[in-house]
Amino acid sequence: MADSLLYILFAPFVGAIALIFVSNRQAMLVRGIAAGSALISLLASLYLFYAYDHVKGGFQFVQRFEWSRQLGISLHLGVDGIGTPLVLASSILLFAGIFVSWHVKDRMKEFYIWLLILAAATIGVFMSLDLFFLFFFYEMSVIPMYLLLGMWGSHTKTYNEMTDPAGLKLRDSVGFIFNFGSNSKEYAAMKLVLFLSAFAVAALMGILLIYKYSELNTFDILVLREQANLMNIPVLGTTLDKIIWILIFFGFASIAPLWPLHSWSPVGHAAAPAATSMLHAGVLMKLGHFSIIRVAFEILPETTRELMPIAAVLCMFSIVYGGLVAFYAKDTKYVIGYSSSSHMGYVFLGMAALDYISVTGAVMYMFAHAMATGMLFAMAGWVYDQTHTRDIPSLGGLSNRMPFISGCFVIACMASIGVPGTVNFIAEVMIIVGSWNKYPLQVIVAVVGIVLTLAYLFKMMRGLFFGPMDQKYSHAHDAVSFPDRLPLLIMITVSVGFFFFPMHLYNVVRSGVDPLIAKIIRVVPVASQEHEPLGVKRDARANSSPQNLATLPGDLSSLMPGASGSDQ
Amino acid sequence: MTFELTMSPSDLLLFLPEILVTSWLCFILIIDFSFPRLPNEQLAYFSIAGLVGTLGCLAWFDFAGITGALFGNMFVLDRMALFFKMLIVGSAILIILVSIDYIHRFKVFRGEYYFLIVMATLGMMFMASANDLLSLFITLEFSSLGFYVLIAYLREDMASNEAGIKFFILGIFAAALLAYGISLVFGETGKLVFSDMKMAQATPGLAIGFLLIFAALGFKIGAVPFHSWIPDTYHGAPTPVTAFLSIAPKVAALAILLRMFLVALATFKPIWVLLIVAVSVLSMTYGNIVAIAQKNIKRLLAYSGIAQIGNVLIGLATGTKMGSDAMLFYLLTYLFANLGAFAIVIAVSEAIGSEEIDDYSGLGRRSPFLAFSMLIFLLSLAGVPPLAGFIGKLYIFIAAIKEGLYVLITVGLINIVISMYYYLIVVKKMYVNEPRDRSPLKISGPIKVVVYICLAGTLAIGIYPQPVTDWVVSAILVFSNVADPTASLPIPPAVIPLGG
Repeated sequence: MADSLLYILFAPFVGAIALIFVSNRQAMLVRGIAAGSALISLLASLYLFYAYDHVKGGFQFVQRFEWSRQLGISLHLGVDGIGTPLVLASSILLFAGIFVSWHVKDRMKEFYIWLLILAAATIGVFMSLDLFFLFFFYEMSVIPMYLLLGMWGSHTKTYNEMTDPAGLKLRDSVGFIFNFGSNSKEYAAMKLVLFLSAFAVAALMGILLIYKYSELNTFDILVLREQANLMNIPVLGTTLDKIIWILIFFGFASIAPLWPLHSWSPVGHAAAPAATSMLHAGVLMKLGHFSIIRVAFEILPETTRELMPIAAVLCMFSIVYGGLVAFYAKDTKYVIGYSSSSHMGYVFLGMAALDYISVTGAVMYMFAHAMATGMLFAMAGWVYDQTHTRDIPSLGGLSNRMPFISGCFVIACMASIGVPGTVNFIAEVMIIVGSWNKYPLQVIVAVVGIVLTLAYLFKMMRGLFFGPMDQKYSHAHDAVSFPDRLPLLIMITVSVGFFFFPMHLYNVVRSGVDPLIAKIIRVVPVASQEHEPLGVKRDARANSSPQNLATLPGDLSSLMPGASGSDQ
Repeated sequence: MTFELTMSPSDLLLFLPEILVTSWLCFILIIDFSFPRLPNEQLAYFSIAGLVGTLGCLAWFDFAGITGALFGNMFVLDRMALFFKMLIVGSAILIILVSIDYIHRFKVFRGEYYFLIVMATLGMMFMASANDLLSLFITLEFSSLGFYVLIAYLREDMASNEAGIKFFILGIFAAALLAYGISLVFGETGKLVFSDMKMAQATPGLAIGFLLIFAALGFKIGAVPFHSWIPDTYHGAPTPVTAFLSIAPKVAALAILLRMFLVALATFKPIWVLLIVAVSVLSMTYGNIVAIAQKNIKRLLAYSGIAQIGNVLIGLATGTKMGSDAMLFYLLTYLFANLGAFAIVIAVSEAIGSEEIDDYSGLGRRSPFLAFSMLIFLLSLAGVPPLAGFIGKLYIFIAAIKEGLYVLITVGLINIVISMYYYLIVVKKMYVNEPRDRSPLKISGPIKVVVYICLAGTLAIGIYPQPVTDWVVSAILVFSNVADPTASLPIPPAVIPLGG
C-alpha cells in the first residue's frame, strides 16, 4: 500500500465523477457512491496513519509524477508527521459529512459532488510536496465552497425581504457584495471567495518569488528547502526573504483565519450547510496553518524565527476577539464560527513559540479541533434542520426532544473547551506549556480564552437544550437512525480515543515537528546539513525506549497519560 | 525592390492549406448558387468538411515538419504559423457548428454566411504567415472584409447594423493608420520584411511608424486604448460572429505582433516593453472593472475579452521565448473557454431568446448541463484550477517573473480577484437564484458537440498540460529569431532527495 496517498486523494474525485452519471432520483445510489468513495479514502488514511513510521520520520508514501517539464512541476505527494493526522482528520470529516448531509433533498447529487471535490482538494494540500500543487489544490478548494454556500446555504429570514436603496430585492442587486450588514448566503459566499482569492494571490506572488530567486526552475518543496538560497537579497529597503515570508504568511493566514483577516470566516460558517461548515472549520481553516508550516517554515526557517512574533501578537487578538464575539452572538453558527476562529489563535500561539512541544501541540490541536468543531457544526445543523432557526434566544429545552443530540452536544462542548477526557486537552496543555517560556502574556490570554470558551459554549448549550421549550418545536426529532448517529459517534470516538491513547498521534506529529523546529531554532539534533538521511540519528534515539524522548529539550512526554500510564 | 517569383511545386506545397480553403470557398459558392433549395445544414457540414481537411493538412505539416518561406520572406510557414493557423481553422469549425441553428435568424443570404466565415478564415490564415509590412496590410484588410459583412448580418436588427457600421468605420480608420505607419517605417528603413529591420536605427519616424502599426493591431486585438468598438460590436453582432470575432482575429493579430516585436524590433526591447506593459495594465484593469457593471452576457464577455488580451500581452512584454510559449498556450486555453462560453450563450438565447444575465437565473435547474459547462468555462476564464485557464495564467506569470515584470504580475494577480467577482455573479444567477420559468431548455446537437469539445479541451489541458506545453514550446522553437532563444530553455530539475 505504498500508493495509499493516491487512494486517499483520488477516491473522492472518482466518486464525484461517478456521481455525474447517476440520476438524482436514485437517492440511495447517490448516497452510496458518495459514502463509498469517502470510505475508501477514510480506510486508506487510517492505514496511512497506522503505517506511518514515526521512527523513520520524514516524508513517507512518496509519489512523484512528472507533470510539466517546462515549468518544473511534478505531482509530488508525500506526508510527514504533520500532514498525516490532518489527512486523517479530513477524511474522517468527509465521511462524517456525507452522513450529516444524508437528508439533503435539493439537488443531492450536485451537493455530494461539490462536497467530495472540496474534501479531496483539501486533502491534496495536506499531501503536496510541490508548491504549485499546494497552491493548485488550495485554490481548488475555494470554488466548491462558493457553490455549496450559495446553493445549499441558509440565511437569516428577514434577509429575503430586505431591499437596497434602489428598491431592488437585496439578493438580486448587483451591489449586494457591499452590503456589509447582511448575512445572506450570497454575501457570505462571495465574500469568502473574494477574500480567499485575494490573499491566495498574495501567497502565489510569494511562491513565484521563491521560484524566481531560488533559480532552481522547480516548485519542489524538498529541493527548495535544501538548495534555495533566498537570504540577504536586498529589496526595497528590506530583504527579499522577509517580503516573501510576509506574502506567504498573510496569504495563507487569511484562511486560518488570523485576527484582522478573519471576517469572511464566521459569515461563511453561518451560511454554509452543516457538512460544509464541518469541513470548512474542521480542515479548510487548517490549510492556512499547514501551508505556513509547509512553505514558510520549511523554505525560510531563519526568516520564520525572525518574523514569527507577528503571529504571537496577532493571535492574542484572535483569541480574545473571537471569544468575545462568540459570547455575544445569538446565532448558533456564529457562536461556533467565532469560537473556531478564536481557537485557531491557539494554533498560531503554538506555532509562534517555535518550541518542540508547542508546535507539536499546535498540530495536535488542529486535529483535535477538527473533531470538536465538526461535532458542534453537525449538531447545529441538525438543530437548524429540525427547528429552521439558528436564533439561540428563541430556542430552548430541546433536550427533551433530542436526548441523543444534547448528550453529544455536551461532549462536543467539553471537547471544544478542552476538558480532560478529550484529545483537545492534551493539545491545549502542550501549547500552553510549550509557549510559557517565550510568551507568558499570550499564555495568560489563552487561558482567559479557555474561560471565555467555557462561558459561551455553556451559554449556547443552555440556550439550545435546557430551560423551557417553545411548543412549536415539539415536532423536532432526535437523531435515531444509524446514518444520523454514525458521524457523531465517529467523531466522539476519535476525540475521546486519542485522549486515552495519544502516543501514536504524539509520536507521529513529533517526528514531523522535530526536524522542522531544529532547523528553525538551529539546535541541531539531526545532521540535516550534510544531507544525511534524518533516519540515522532518529533511529538511535528511537531504539531506546520512548521515555528517552525526555532527553530532548522541553519534552512533555511525562505529561502524556498514555506514556506515564496513569489515568486522569 | 524586385520580387523574383520562382515557385517550384514544393513551394506550392507550403500553400496547400490556403489553396484548399480557397478552392473550398469556390465550391461553397457554387453549391449555394446551384442548389438554392439545399438545406443549410448540408452546406454547413460541407464547409466543415473542407475546414477539417485543412486542419488535417496543417496537422500533417506540423507533424512532418514542413516549413519554409515564400516570395522573398513575405509569406513564412514556420511552426508558429502552423499553430496559429490550426487555432484559426479550429475556431472556424466550431463557429460553423454553433451557427447551424442560429442561422434561421438570417432572412436571406444564408449560404453566403458560410462563405464569408470561410473567407475570413482564409484571410486570417494568411495573416498568421504574414512576415512583412505589405502582406501584413493586405492580409489584415482581407480578413476584415468578411467581418464587415458578417457583423451586420442581422439586417433587420438595428443593433447589428450599428455594430457593423462602428466596426467598419473604426476598421477603416485603423487601416489608414496602418498604411501610414507602414509608409513611415518603409521610408525610414527601406525594408519591408520584418527580419531585415533588425539593424534599423531608432529614429522618430520609425518610432511613430511602429506606434501606428501597433495601434492598428491593437484595434484588432481590442486592447485598451483601442478597444472602444468592442462592446457595441460584440453586443450587436450575431452571436456566432461575436464568438468568432472574440478569438480568431485576436489570434491572427497576435501572430503578427509576435513577429513584429520579437523579430523586427528585438533590439529595441527596453523601449517597447514599457508600451506593452502600459497597454497590458490598462487592458486588464479597464476590462475587468467595467465588466462588473455589465447586465448583458455578450458585453460581459466582451469586456472580459479585453482583460484577457491584457493577460496575453504580459507574455509579449516578457519578450522571451518562454513568454511567447506562454502566449500560445494561453490563447489555446482562451479559445476553448471563450468559444465554449459563447456556445452556451447561443444555446440559451436560442432557447429563451435573451442574452441578459438576469435571464440566466436558475439555469442550473433548467439545464444542469449548460449551467455546469458555463461554470467550467467562466472559471477557466477566471483562472481557477484545475482548469486550463489557470495553467495558462500561471504559465504567463512564471514567464513574466523570470523577466522581473513585478508590476505586471501584481496587476495581473489583483485582476484575477476582480474578474472572479463578475464571473461568479453569473454563476450566482445560474445556481443560486431561482428560475422564473422552470421548463427545461432544449439544446441542439451541434451546439452540444461544441460544448463537449470545449469542455474536453478545458479540462484536459488543465489536468495534464504537458502535451500542449511541448507543442507550444516546439512551435516557438522553430520561430528562431526570438530575442534570446536560450533564455528559458528548460533546465533539468535538481536532484530530489526523497524521504528527508
